[in-house]
Amino acid sequence: MIAAAIALLFTASIPLTEWLVASKPPEPRGYADEDLSLKGADMRGWVFGAEGLIADWYWMNSLQYIGGKIASVGLDKINIDDLSALNPRLLNQYLNNTVDLDPRFVAAYSYGATVLPAIDVDQAIALTEKGIANNPSNWRLYQYLGYIHWRRKDYDKASEVYTAGSKIADAPSFLREMAAAMKTRGGSRETARQLYLQMYNEADDQQSKNNAELRLLEIDTLDELEALNDLLASAKAASGLCPERLSELFPKLASIKLPRDRSFSIDRQKQLVDPTGFPYRFDRDKCRADLSFESKIPRTLE
Amino acid sequence: MLSRIFSIARNTFREAVRDRVLYNLVLFVLLLVACAIVLGDLTDGHEARTIVNIGLNAMLFFGVFIAIFVGVGLVSKEIEKRTVFAIFAKPVGRGEFIIGKYLGLCLTLAVNVAVMAAGVSLALLYVGGSSFAGTIWGTVILIFLELTIITAVALFFSSFSSPALSALLTFCIFVIGHFSSSLRELAANIESTFAKLIFDAMYFVFPNLSHFTFVTNAAYGDVPPAAMIGGSLAYALIFNTILVLGAVLIFSRRNFK
Repeated sequence: MIAAAIALLFTASIPLTEWLVASKPPEPRGYADEDLSLKGADMRGWVFGAEGLIADWYWMNSLQYIGGKIASVGLDKINIDDLSALNPRLLNQYLNNTVDLDPRFVAAYSYGATVLPAIDVDQAIALTEKGIANNPSNWRLYQYLGYIHWRRKDYDKASEVYTAGSKIADAPSFLREMAAAMKTRGGSRETARQLYLQMYNEADDQQSKNNAELRLLEIDTLDELEALNDLLASAKAASGLCPERLSELFPKLASIKLPRDRSFSIDRQKQLVDPTGFPYRFDRDKCRADLSFESKIPRTLE
Repeated sequence: MLSRIFSIARNTFREAVRDRVLYNLVLFVLLLVACAIVLGDLTDGHEARTIVNIGLNAMLFFGVFIAIFVGVGLVSKEIEKRTVFAIFAKPVGRGEFIIGKYLGLCLTLAVNVAVMAAGVSLALLYVGGSSFAGTIWGTVILIFLELTIITAVALFFSSFSSPALSALLTFCIFVIGHFSSSLRELAANIESTFAKLIFDAMYFVFPNLSHFTFVTNAAYGDVPPAAMIGGSLAYALIFNTILVLGAVLIFSRRNFK
C-alpha cells in the first residue's frame, strides 16, 4: 500500500515538474549574458586544490555557451568570421577563468585563438599572449598567435611571432617556413592551406579541428572554381559560346590536377559537386560557376 | 603492545565495513561511469583530464567526509555504548586504544582510496587516457596522506568534544588547512602587524594541507617528485604524531563517570 502510494506520488511529480518548467517566467532579458560573478584568478588557492576541476567546468561552459548560441540561430545561418551578431560576450570570460585556474590548459587557448577572432580579435590576441606567457615553451601557441595576426593581414607581426616560435627547442620547421612565407607571400592561398593543414593536424580540440577543416574545404573549393572557370573561359574563347551544361566539361576536368592530389567530384545524378556534396551553380549568361547558395562552404578567403 | 594496537585497528576496520562505510564506493563508481559516458561530448575530447580532475577531487572529498564523520564517532560511540568499559577491563591502555582506532580508520581510508584509484585508472583506460592510468598514483598517495591528517584532527577533537562540535571543528581545520597559504599571501598586503601575526600563526600552527595538493598537475600526467612525496610524508607523520599524542594525552585524563 505504502509502496503504491510512493510510486503514485512519484509518477504525479513528473507531469508537475514539466508543468513547473513550462510555466516558469522567462529569465530577465540579457541574464544569460551577464558578467560572471567569479573571476578565475581570484579563485586560485581558495578551492581546496580543485582548480583543475573548476577549470574543466568553465571549459565545458565555454563550449556549451558558443554551442547554444549557434544552435539558437542554426549552423547554416552563421558567419564563422563574424559571430558578433550572436553576442557571445561571455566566451572571453569563460576562457579566461579556465586558463586563470589552469594556466597549462592549452586547448582553451587554442579554442580562443580560433573562435575569439570572430568576436573580438584583441581579446583573442590577449588570451593567446597570456598562454605564451604561461607556457613559453609551447610552440603551438605561437602558431595560433601567428594565425590571428595572419587573419587580420598583419603579415609582419605574424612573421615576427612565427620566428619567435621557431626558436623553441622542439618547434617544427613549419614555423620557420611560415615566418618566411609571411614576409614574401602572406596573403597567398598556398600559405593559407599550409596554415590550416598544420592547425588541422595539431589541434587539441575538436572545434578548432572542425574550423580548420572547413577552411581547408573552402581553399579546395577556390581551387576547383578557379580551374572550372578557366575551363569555361577557354571553351567560350574557342567556340564563341559558353557550354550549355557543366557536364560538357567532364572529360577535360578529369585531366586537371588539383592541389593535395584531389580531383573533381561528380555525384550519382552526374552533377559536379563541391567538397561538401552540393552541386556547383552555373550561370551561363556570365559563363561562370560558383558555389550553391545552400553549400556549407564558407566564403571568407575570396 | 603492538599486537593490542593492531587488534583494535583490525576491529575498527571491521566495524567500518559493517557500518557500510565502503558503500560510498558504489556512488563513486557510478560517478565515474557517468563521467566516462557523457564527458566525451561535453569536454570536446578532453575527457581523460576531466576524469582525473573529477576522480581525484571526489576521492579527496569522499575521504574527508569519511574521515570526519567516522573519525568523530570512533571514541564517542564506544563511550556512549559503554563498550569502552569492557575494553579497558582487558589489558588495553588508553593510548593503545586511541592509536589502534586511528590506524583502523586509516586502513579503511587506504582501502577506500586504493579502490577508488583503481576505478579512476579503469575509467581512464576506457576513455583512452592510458598514460594517466599509472601517473595518478603519486597524487593518490598525497591524497591519502592528507586524509590521515584529517582523521587525526577528527580523533583529536573527539577525544574531548561532542561528535557534532568535533565534526564542525575538523571541517574548519580542513578549510583553514587549504586556505592558510592564500591567507598568508593576503596578509602580506595588509598593513596591520597584528593581522600578519595571526595569519602567520595560522599558517604554522594548523596543518598546511596545500602541501598535498597536486590534482591539477596530475591532469597533465605529472607525477609528484619524490622529494615532494617524501617531504609530505614527513610532514604528515609529524602532524599525525602531534595530534594522536594530543588525543592520547587528553583521553588518558578523561573521566568516564
